[in-house]
Amino acid sequence: MNDLPNRARSISSLRDFLELLEDSGQAITWSDPVMPEPGVRNIAVAASRDANGAPAIVFDNITGYPGKRLAVGVHGSWDNIALLLGRPKGTTIRELFFEIAGRWGDQEAQISSVPEAQAPVHECRIEQDINLYDVLPVYRINEYDGGFYIGKASVASRDPLDPDNFGKQNVGIYRLQIQGPDSFTLMTIPSHDMGRQIMAAEREGVPLKIAVMLGNHPGLAVFAATPIGYEESEYSYASAMMGAPIRLTKSGNGIDILADSEIVIEAELQLGERALEGPFGEFPGSYSGVRKAPIFKVTAVSHRRDPIFENIYIGRGWTEHDTLIGLHTSAPIYAQLRENFPEVTAVNALYQHGLTGIISVKNRMAGFAKTVALRALSTPHGVMYLKNLIMVDADVDPFDLNQVMWALSTRTRADDIIVLPNMPAVPIDPSAVIPGKGHRLIIDATSYLPPDPVGEAHLVTPPTGDEIDALSKRIREMQLGALS
Amino acid sequence: MTTTVCGRCKSSGAVTDHQGRQDGAVVWTILRCPTCNFSWRDSEPARAIDPAARSPDFAVDAGDLQRYPKILQQ
Repeated sequence: MNDLPNRARSISSLRDFLELLEDSGQAITWSDPVMPEPGVRNIAVAASRDANGAPAIVFDNITGYPGKRLAVGVHGSWDNIALLLGRPKGTTIRELFFEIAGRWGDQEAQISSVPEAQAPVHECRIEQDINLYDVLPVYRINEYDGGFYIGKASVASRDPLDPDNFGKQNVGIYRLQIQGPDSFTLMTIPSHDMGRQIMAAEREGVPLKIAVMLGNHPGLAVFAATPIGYEESEYSYASAMMGAPIRLTKSGNGIDILADSEIVIEAELQLGERALEGPFGEFPGSYSGVRKAPIFKVTAVSHRRDPIFENIYIGRGWTEHDTLIGLHTSAPIYAQLRENFPEVTAVNALYQHGLTGIISVKNRMAGFAKTVALRALSTPHGVMYLKNLIMVDADVDPFDLNQVMWALSTRTRADDIIVLPNMPAVPIDPSAVIPGKGHRLIIDATSYLPPDPVGEAHLVTPPTGDEIDALSKRIREMQLGALS
Repeated sequence: MTTTVCGRCKSSGAVTDHQGRQDGAVVWTILRCPTCNFSWRDSEPARAIDPAARSPDFAVDAGDLQRYPKILQQ
């Protein structure tokens, strides 16, 4: 396993990644008979209790779906994320964060084009009598969801007003609710790229065609959820961040898609139409409401032979959603802050997609951390999501909550807390005053600098470094040896 | 047992979207309510699909569908 970086770069499909995970003890096959409800949910939730080491689970014996395969938890643990990034199991979250942050803006995209006739995703094609239930072994993800959801779909679309612009092609993860055999609703908000495109298509009366990719290159699922600029291509970004080529082909309706995806659903927006959608157990750990959402009609389905339907358990955390997007929520905020403030040393926005974030910063002057916090609120992700911000000094590791609590306990005065009322808020935040509007909280847990009269306390400096790390490891080994 | 009454809004007239088979026999049926768009599988636990057993917090009022907001309005 010394070639982990090369092996990670050679991944071009979900199948490649599942093989790598299996070789590393990070994927298992569940072949006992299991009912879609509640069996699949129960197993997915049980696995996600181990955020550090949970394996991906491939089901191949779901009652009523003979011969069909379902994968959950592919990105469901930090060990799986480590392997995707070419790092060994046991790599710390802090190390993974700096692995991602170090790749930011540092690599070239490598995009190759595969003719449609040679693309694995088009091995099987359905254009008549489409029934999504024939293809997808779906199940109710949380018990009061309004229907059967596709929770891990990478949806590709072209800008309806600028369809030839590769950069304005959007790839994003959106939740889809199946609405009968050949229809689904898609939930988005106006600030998301897909929301903008739907509103533009409906305003101008032009078609909006999409391709829903399921069971994808594992790098895309990670990086398509990253908040980057509207005119940046998620494919280019994913390729650059993986340091590896991405193979694209065309869907039947003319959209660039991954050539090696398991399943692609081609569909067209029904202009101006809405259908009841939800509830859905969302990432804050609560159900969304019931709303009227845009509806898409399926025009064709392509899939590989013997396809694997990849889905996600999402609900009250920790879940795969947190490990899937946590680091890639944190890294862009870090990079964007450092453009103005190189004093920022790390960003931990792992919690509920950044509803709580912890930022470590070297205070340039008294009160500086508050200035940095306000800048964080104006980053693309911060505008809607960063609700609670905890600012800590650079000597505090924001990924170590014991250290963060120490900073809160010893470096926070009650008047170091700022509440910004009635700010924009992500609509599914259950604590919002009204959906879409809520308060922001900044807690400055950094130390005091002149002209503050208190100044920095005389701190105890416990021993740290390689010698202590080695001793810690030896103690653990002695302990394990004593147990065996 | 397959019922055509929606567990969520209690409307009747649900349509069958799919049937799952095992060794040739139907083992469950997926139904959809054309009134509130709830979809369910008749093999699910009663607390998810039986109107008598479901939590009223998750009921949909079939007589007042206007109350549910429309997203992405111009």
